[in-house]
Amino acid sequence: MKKAILVFVVTGLVIASAAFWFLSSPESVRNDPFELLHFGVILVVVLFALFFGYKRLTSARRGEPVEDELTKKVMQRTAAYSYYISLYFWVFLLFIKDRITLDQEQLLGTGILGMAIIFAIVWLILNFRGVRNE
Amino acid sequence: MNNRIKEYRARHDLTQEELARKVNVRRETIVFLEKNKYNPSLKLAFDLARVFGVAIEELFFEEE
Repeated sequence: MKKAILVFVVTGLVIASAAFWFLSSPESVRNDPFELLHFGVILVVVLFALFFGYKRLTSARRGEPVEDELTKKVMQRTAAYSYYISLYFWVFLLFIKDRITLDQEQLLGTGILGMAIIFAIVWLILNFRGVRNE
Repeated sequence: MNNRIKEYRARHDLTQEELARKVNVRRETIVFLEKNKYNPSLKLAFDLARVFGVAIEELFFEEE
């Protein structure tokens, strides 16, 4: 239950800081499609965290453990796969950085948000497909 | 690996939620087990066998 509440607290902090960053940015930044894309990706990650927190909360309400051996295994596999895919994502980013204009902050931001998206996608796939022990 | 969890759960007139609570896992884990999408740990396999009062090899078997 505590962990589920913690997820919602962290999500709230992410939403607040992203909204503050976006609203305090100058007009030119707010109309930049690249910045809008970043903000959109943050929203997707936040929605993923809310879904994650909701699942934990419903489990706690039903009197079931918030985490069990399957959720732990799914998380371990997700971490392993997303790390592996992220390496290729960074190689791809380094490849395109010389071909399009990206400053250092944009490159790092894209990399970190990309990793979060990769993690969310892998988790969703494994969560719905299941983890076999073979 | 295959299992007869669904069959035994029906015989014992248990819902997935009730069985999940008895073996201290989430309902989703029982769903994945019944669909053969997850092979349980030895501990969970023993717990399930104990709940149904059968030997572990009666509940879990290898496909021919």
